[in-house]
Amino acid sequence: MAKTVMALPRTTRRGLLSMLGGAMVAMPFIREARAAETLYINTWGGPWEEAARAILFNPFTAETGIEIRTIAPVSFAKLAAQTRTGIYEFDVTTLGVAELGRANHAKLIDTYDESKIPASSLWPGAVTLNGVNSHAFANIIAYRRDKIPNGGPRNWADFWDTTKFPGSRSLQNYPARVLAFALMADGVEPAKLFPYDLDRAFKSLDRIKKDVRVWWSQSPQSQQLLRDGEVELIGMWNTSAQAMVDQKQPIELVFDQAVIDVATWVVARGSPRTKNAWRFIEFAVGPERLAQFAQKNNYGPMNPASFKYLSPEIISHMPTSPQNLPKSVILDAEKLLPQLDVMAKRFEQWLST
Amino acid sequence: MALDLTLSRSAQGRAWSAAGWASALIRPPFLLYAPASLFLAVFFLAPLGLVIWMSVSEPTVGFDNYAEFFASKYDLNVLARTFQTALIVTITSLVFAYPVAYVAARKGGAVGSFLLGIVALSFWTSFLVRTYAWMVILGARGPVVGLLVALGVNPPPRLLFTTFAATFAMAHMLVPFMVLALYAVMKRIDEVYMRAAASLGARPLKAFLTVYLPQSLPGVLNGATLVFITCLGFYVTPTLIGSPQDKMIAGRIGQQIEQLLEFGAASATSMVLLAAAVALFVIYDRLFGIEKMWR
Repeated sequence: MAKTVMALPRTTRRGLLSMLGGAMVAMPFIREARAAETLYINTWGGPWEEAARAILFNPFTAETGIEIRTIAPVSFAKLAAQTRTGIYEFDVTTLGVAELGRANHAKLIDTYDESKIPASSLWPGAVTLNGVNSHAFANIIAYRRDKIPNGGPRNWADFWDTTKFPGSRSLQNYPARVLAFALMADGVEPAKLFPYDLDRAFKSLDRIKKDVRVWWSQSPQSQQLLRDGEVELIGMWNTSAQAMVDQKQPIELVFDQAVIDVATWVVARGSPRTKNAWRFIEFAVGPERLAQFAQKNNYGPMNPASFKYLSPEIISHMPTSPQNLPKSVILDAEKLLPQLDVMAKRFEQWLST
Repeated sequence: MALDLTLSRSAQGRAWSAAGWASALIRPPFLLYAPASLFLAVFFLAPLGLVIWMSVSEPTVGFDNYAEFFASKYDLNVLARTFQTALIVTITSLVFAYPVAYVAARKGGAVGSFLLGIVALSFWTSFLVRTYAWMVILGARGPVVGLLVALGVNPPPRLLFTTFAATFAMAHMLVPFMVLALYAVMKRIDEVYMRAAASLGARPLKAFLTVYLPQSLPGVLNGATLVFITCLGFYVTPTLIGSPQDKMIAGRIGQQIEQLLEFGAASATSMVLLAAAVALFVIYDRLFGIEKMWR
């Protein structure tokens, strides 16, 4: 937020006034031009957006002439507000499994059919609940090697074990993922995770509550907490954790019992630019482009054809690699859907009492 | 104020009539306050009306959202905690602000300008920037922890993400409001009284307590009201550097919208917060008169 404020161009008052005047005169024309030429995409900002711009957005503009503007960060509430107000700030966004379920249920997203993207451009199982599967990321354990030198936690039960591994912890403020950790920490087999046994999950969370100093909400925050030594152990995304390993930070990653979530591209329902929005999504999940985008962020591409374009070395870092996938669980959107609301409410109350 | 004068003068002149109203309304004062009124109507009253409407119409028409709020132990706890935090922050900032305002008002000159300058600088820096500054200062690699380690406190305490951090930072952010409110009143306290007290044999402390302090109380009340009401709505600071258990009501509203998509419930919670703030203003107005706040 602070960044946006500072990035505002310096303007004189007169300059600002003439800009405003110009904008008012030009307003009707701008709207016309935008409808035809521009697509608005909701992004995570930062390195994510840089990668998306280089690999997805700019080539799309070059091919179609449709300009892409971005709005950060990803906001589920904005998606909901847009369909209510009819004022569209963005047309396309990415959603995780839990939000996808809720967004689809609340009719916030445009429905998919083959007229939007031909089946020949997709693969079997490409579309879940009107979202086009793009890339998988894993919620893994990361810890400071320098603070926990003699072998760190190997799974969520270890992460929960504060006597064996003393130190501050952080987890994401995101119940659909955190409850999976809690159940596995309590000994639930990954195969029997869904739907969640909520009572058991919250009882398990009670055991770790006082050691979780902070519940992060944005991925840069999770990196900062670990980098600055505010916490010793954290549950975070493999993507941002790998970025820290690449920066030679003393950090160890644990892929055992990773909770895999899938990012899907969705179109805001009722947006005046849905046609171009679907066109962009078709473009973005093309095998080679998706391979490059996934490689840049250590995502696992969901398009099976993408793996042809990736080296075994690169694939080994991905959450969906043959080495990592068997150790993980994938969030089950359909089984979680009926639980999402009650889960979110109960988690919020649990958190602040 | 200007409006009041015009109206009362015209009221004395002739009986109220439609024409009287019309002429009162198109007199120059109207032109002066029209832009502000229009602005407030469009950008404040209309959205506020929308929020009120949402609070009684979503998901169903009726007062369910309010009933749920007051039936929820959790929501009432958050509300109570918000008031408690605001009270602690108000007292803390008063403790910090009073001496500053006192010295600035009584010394005046270079010292006073210097003190007020510092306060103003802090006042002009955004809440968000100051919150991030506190993150750095109180962080595990920050100067405070560094100092404690150098003094041999090992392991150093964790300062960030605690109730202490959030309360302290909020008090810091609101101190300028308090200083300015106090200073405005203290500046008008005539030095003669203190000298008179001294000449009658009062020691400095006694003179301060019996002569100066009572005269500065209006400033204390102004400052406390301003700080308390501003603090009720704090969102960023407790969210970013408080403990997870420190949720204040603004954070609760944020969560209702961001994560639960309960626009109706969030609107109702906002109205409760607004009503609390308005109630405080009304009490203040009854006791002291609202127009005194800005003098």
